[in-house]
Amino acid sequence: MPEVKSMFREVLPKQGQLSFEDTPTMVLCKPKLLPLKSVTLEKLEKMQREAQETIRQQELAQREQQQIQE
Amino acid sequence: MDPLFMACSYFRRRKFQLCAEICTALLEKNPYDQAAWSLKTRALTEMVYVDEVDIDQEGIAEVILDDNAIAQIARPGTSLKHPTTSQAGGPSPAVRPMSQAGRPISGFVRPGTSSGRPGTMEQAIKTPRTASTARPVTSASGRYVRLGTASMLTNPDGPFIHLSRLNISKYAGKPYLAKTLFEYIFHHENDVKSVSLFHQYFLSFSSIKLFNLAALATEHSQFKDWWWKVQLGKCYYRLGLHREAEKQFKSALKQQEMVDIFLYLSKVYIRLDQPLTVLVLLKEGLDHFPGEVTLLTGIARIHDEMNDIVSATEYYKDVLKQDNTNVEAIACIGSNHFYSDQPEIALRFYRRLLQMGVYNCQLFNNLGLCCFYAQQYDLTLSSFERALSLAVNDEEVADVWYNLGHIAVGIGDMTLAYQCFKLALANNNDHAEAYNNLAVLEMRKGHHEQAKGFLQTAASLAPHMYEPHYNFAALSDKVGDLQSSYVAAQKSAAAFPEHVNTRQLIKQLQQHFSML
Repeated sequence: MPEVKSMFREVLPKQGQLSFEDTPTMVLCKPKLLPLKSVTLEKLEKMQREAQETIRQQELAQREQQQIQE
Repeated sequence: MDPLFMACSYFRRRKFQLCAEICTALLEKNPYDQAAWSLKTRALTEMVYVDEVDIDQEGIAEVILDDNAIAQIARPGTSLKHPTTSQAGGPSPAVRPMSQAGRPISGFVRPGTSSGRPGTMEQAIKTPRTASTARPVTSASGRYVRLGTASMLTNPDGPFIHLSRLNISKYAGKPYLAKTLFEYIFHHENDVKSVSLFHQYFLSFSSIKLFNLAALATEHSQFKDWWWKVQLGKCYYRLGLHREAEKQFKSALKQQEMVDIFLYLSKVYIRLDQPLTVLVLLKEGLDHFPGEVTLLTGIARIHDEMNDIVSATEYYKDVLKQDNTNVEAIACIGSNHFYSDQPEIALRFYRRLLQMGVYNCQLFNNLGLCCFYAQQYDLTLSSFERALSLAVNDEEVADVWYNLGHIAVGIGDMTLAYQCFKLALANNNDHAEAYNNLAVLEMRKGHHEQAKGFLQTAASLAPHMYEPHYNFAALSDKVGDLQSSYVAAQKSAAAFPEHVNTRQLIKQLQQHFSML
């Protein structure tokens, strides 16, 4: 808003001691708002997790069977 | 009770597994029961159904060997790959973190945006190593296939329908079976090739019939069926034949105006890197469907990806006028307010989401941050506690700890901050921001060597961020290693050209070098 800016000017004292020191400091990375996930993405991730789980269980079952056969 | 009725009821109640089981029993008794067969196909499809409008995953091969874009070196403002750098009115990277693709992070992720588009081959290959952004080699080997194989493995008798043995011509003649079968192959088996064969067969089949004078009005309407054209377009899109897909969608659009078709077409144009065409198309769609939320969201997303945050927010506000429970719009406007230094307003948007029933780690994390910066300290830590307890994977935990570290920095508790950033790294070893912030804390303690190590790690993990480069430059400058300071400062300037301190540092270094 330019109108507001023109109303308030910075005031620098012209008399007396004025010390000004600008020391560049290290920059921190900024706080990160986490993006919310879309419904589709959540569904995809859920399906993927479930798929991995079923595959893992089947592999476990297979391994157990092999052990029993041995 | 009649088992078929029971199965239908299960289907309506979305208990697809039970429905499929009953249908299997029915089919064992009578393999030619079309109703049971069709119902089972639909149930199996629904189990893995994902809205095709939303899903869009590019593999490494597509990204790197991308020759679909019409202009390889596009003029600024006409391409999604090189968005305008001037950040028209949007927050600068000094305030808003950047995603890997060099865009300000968004308030919302969708399947297409979850991992950004890497700029170089090197980056693209490196990305899949971090667990959070695994990218398949090609989209044909992506999620589609994995989901399909899992459902196939669970079936002891092998797949329900053997595609290779399928007599497509037989099914093409039966429109009601053909549609369910198509959806099954498309979503469940993900075998685009046979699907599109199937299509062509179907279309040619019906067109032959059409030319046949004996064709009845039903077959006439069959050839005029826009649905099949859309499906054919979807297949072409998956096969990467974008121009053919465009043709099909346009022809379907002539027959029947549907919101879906506009969205599919816009997906094609996005792939062709034609954001301005997408905008024109979606606005045309808005003329036919005034106030349609999905079209408005589409426009807002394009503006968002072009770094035109102001227009994006305008459109997201339009979305909220039509549908005041749209999570994507609320989240994006909220994050925008947060990064333009209005955390109080952002807090109201996120609170609205909480009232609507969104209850997850991300939301509580954002609430906690907004509360802290809006000086509502009583709620901050409890929100973060909630966020930590709701996190489902290590990456989320890491992000929450990272943000908690900022709270600790804010209240001046450096020991806590140090521990928070360390915890973030313990949960996610690739958290570049946490490395950078740890380095800053180490510097304050006077541990130069450690700080240097952290900064180098951060810079190699996330070359798109300017902070580690700048910090490294400043640190090297301090210890007198002017050469590496200059190199790092150049990198920082490349990542964020408007950064004043970087410019000053470079100027200072150039003066030093010219004096030598």
